[in-house]
Amino acid sequence: MKETAVSILENIRKGSLEMEDYVFKKLELIRKKDNIINAYISIDSEDFILDRINEIKRNIASGKKMKIPGLVVSIKDNISTNFLPTTAGSKILENYIPPYNATVVEKILEEGGIIIGKTNLDEFAMGSTTEFSAYGLTRNPWDITRVPGGSSGGSAASLAYGSCDLSLGSDTGGSVRLPASYTATVGLKPTYGTVSRYGLIPYANSLEQISPMARSVKDLALIWDVIKGYDEKDATSVNNNYKSDNKFKICIPKEFIEESEPPIKSTIYKLLEKIENEGVAIEYEGKFENLKYALPTYYTIAFAEAASNLARYDGKLYPISSEGLSYKEMSENTRRYYFGFEVKKRILMGVLALSEGFINDYYIAATKGRRIIRDEILNMTKNCIVASSVSPILPPKIGERIKDPLKLYAMDIYTVVANLAGVPALAMPAGFYNNLPIGIQFMAGPFEEEKLISLGSLVEEITGLYNLIAGD
Amino acid sequence: MKYKIGLEIHTQLSEAGTKLFCDCDSNYRKYEPNTNVCPVCLGLPGALPVPRRNPLKLALLVSKSFNCEIPEFMVFTRKHYFYPDLPKNYQITQYEKAGGIPVCLKGILKYFDSDHLTWKSVTLRRMNIEEDPGKTEYSGGNILLSEYAYLDYNRSGVPLLEVVTEPEIPTPRDARKAVEYLLLTMEYIGAINPRLEGSFRVDANVSVEGGERVEVKNIGSTLDLEKALKYEIFRQSKIVEEGGKIKRETRHWDSIRGVTKPLRSKETEEEYLYFPDPDIPSIKTEPLLKEALSSNFMTPENFMNRITMYGVSQRIAWSLITVKPAAELFLESVRIGSDPKITARILAIDYKGLLKKSGKNIYEKSNWPNKQILKLLSTLVSNKLYTYDELKYNILPKLLENGNDMNLVLPEKVEPTNLIISVINEEKKAVEDFISGKREALDYLVGKVLKKAKGKAIDPKTIRKMIEITLTKH
Repeated sequence: MKETAVSILENIRKGSLEMEDYVFKKLELIRKKDNIINAYISIDSEDFILDRINEIKRNIASGKKMKIPGLVVSIKDNISTNFLPTTAGSKILENYIPPYNATVVEKILEEGGIIIGKTNLDEFAMGSTTEFSAYGLTRNPWDITRVPGGSSGGSAASLAYGSCDLSLGSDTGGSVRLPASYTATVGLKPTYGTVSRYGLIPYANSLEQISPMARSVKDLALIWDVIKGYDEKDATSVNNNYKSDNKFKICIPKEFIEESEPPIKSTIYKLLEKIENEGVAIEYEGKFENLKYALPTYYTIAFAEAASNLARYDGKLYPISSEGLSYKEMSENTRRYYFGFEVKKRILMGVLALSEGFINDYYIAATKGRRIIRDEILNMTKNCIVASSVSPILPPKIGERIKDPLKLYAMDIYTVVANLAGVPALAMPAGFYNNLPIGIQFMAGPFEEEKLISLGSLVEEITGLYNLIAGD
Repeated sequence: MKYKIGLEIHTQLSEAGTKLFCDCDSNYRKYEPNTNVCPVCLGLPGALPVPRRNPLKLALLVSKSFNCEIPEFMVFTRKHYFYPDLPKNYQITQYEKAGGIPVCLKGILKYFDSDHLTWKSVTLRRMNIEEDPGKTEYSGGNILLSEYAYLDYNRSGVPLLEVVTEPEIPTPRDARKAVEYLLLTMEYIGAINPRLEGSFRVDANVSVEGGERVEVKNIGSTLDLEKALKYEIFRQSKIVEEGGKIKRETRHWDSIRGVTKPLRSKETEEEYLYFPDPDIPSIKTEPLLKEALSSNFMTPENFMNRITMYGVSQRIAWSLITVKPAAELFLESVRIGSDPKITARILAIDYKGLLKKSGKNIYEKSNWPNKQILKLLSTLVSNKLYTYDELKYNILPKLLENGNDMNLVLPEKVEPTNLIISVINEEKKAVEDFISGKREALDYLVGKVLKKAKGKAIDPKTIRKMIEITLTKH
């Protein structure tokens, strides 16, 4: 039986595992493997980690109760840390060290987590493969000729090759769930407002949530418990005491599976059969009428918000700056040279969607579409947990999808719905095909994370697919 | 020639205590550059705006004071433009056409025309809350000679209330009076200190009959507003009279030269990519307004009604109202029994004059006497122990000197006849001058009498009359 974060935590608490040894082994693994995988953009120094371990030990000695003392956590590089650069995968934020910590970072430090490094991502989280990073692409530890999914591909890969116990990504339209399904890890996109966004470098504010990742649902529950909760620094944060029941029924709108590649379809149906055999009711007749509107709605809103959020990078407040004879020239040059192609494309489309003469047909239309989709999914999740594919395709080869933007965007068809509706969704391993991981997604009603975690725990017991480390 | 004036008044909620979306200080003037800042008002990525209650409450009180239609929810929008002093390159505001909802949709700015002692009004189109940008400074204050532009974000995020009127203000003078009344009301609410440098700016729209609308930007005082409008109406009228055309444009007020200068021609609306700020959920106005109204506040109009109720004239009342501590002190001391008319005269005219002459700040409450002294002083006059002028010339200056001390030693009364006779006997030359028609000689004689009476209560006007009568009889 491989070690889980839960069992490691037990051993640390018992004193049978020496924190230094444990963390330095992780560092060694990173040194050995990360030059190929490239899951990390920056890593802590040994001195910094030693100081941190000593601090945690002092806290333990003084009787402080902590939820994850000594567990090793990696964090996506669009989440602000005042001790490591936070680049969002972009050249334009190279060497930027925020003067403050994101709320989730504060919480992890408070609860004894050791943040080992910052993980790679598509620039500003704009992508589904982690190929759009200014700091090089991340490879899938299960097959290094393939992508790990994105945009939290660095976080997923860092877990998949065993360099950490827990990870934080962010999910704007599937950015933790897609990588989870491609790397046999677990990712939970929480209900909008349940995790503070304070410190998350924004891509599309109304859609995204900082999202926990782990190698098992039970491990994920550990970090979920640390990061959730109301934060007065985030006006969209919600104060909620909702307790979901643990009775579940699963329904399957066929639109959410049928268009997937055959091995994915058959793997998911087989798994559902096993779940049904465990006594969970499954309804196969579900329908989701408006799925066809999901992608255009999602991308229009995301690009519009992105165009606005990225306006601030003009060379005046951050280390990277081009010269120019005027402010206009300086800001134009900075943006021309230091934004990547995909980012510029999305900004341009976002500007179009908000422009006079276009806003009604694009941005406003998308907000209407969003309401329709949200109403449909809210209605559906009232009665059941929606099961579906995470991605319609197996992990693509490097370079395969980014050539064709429409094909790239289509990878998100099953995941964007949860972001448009603000509901929680869990992605976890369902099986393998030709040694490539396949994931399953469960989507529930607002604030039903506990329900998803219970179902996920049951499912991982059925499959036995948890704590999988590539190459072991 | 007929013309139309409309105003956009940007007022800083300088007394709000906090900035609009963070807890930095709303009064940024006392800080070293870039020390009144935090991740939120610097617009650092990931920092989030959380609307602060006090600026919102103050804006709601201003809206309430001008009979605004206050919507059920406010919605903040983003207005995009690239500018060095705008950290995020968008400003959070409340533009109503892109899904935004402002704090006030329609209201009435009722203002006091102190020239004609009448109330007038202008329709308000809307009021919206927004964040102030930072500041760009140049070394030596010169944009052309400075090698660098220096950015100071201390002001970034300070709450602004933009007040927009319909283009229906009759004269430049009215524009000035309306803005002064708006600012005064906001001062009474505790929203603004209008005397702080840069605490408000006015953009004025002017169009003469047959011409297009011209916007004059960057007017920093109400005096300048009147001047700029007069200039602009003159300029436009002249062009039209000479057969020229007024094109739509934006001009800049140069207060040093007293002229408006072209800034840019404005053919179409600029593209600001407005949309609702996804970081800020809509805000319910009712609970905030309730909370705001629970603290007592009075508008200048309320003060006018109260003060004139005591038989004080509108002119004197207005003079009290323009200095908030004086108006408050009036009501406080009348409430404990001071004579209203005498008190009003002391505060509105003579003590105010003395304060100004001595260079003291009339807006500072501690520079004014307390209500008990005022009661005492007004009683001295109403009980005829002293004449008002004796009070004015002998007691008030002493009060100012003594720092408003209650143990003020009242001057001895003196019988002036003997003093006058001895002065007339001593000052033969002056007496002759007066008799031969030199009026200035009378001033000299009055001065001599006052000198002889040093320290005692004496009324120069009475002395003057007495000397005049005595000498005319001669």
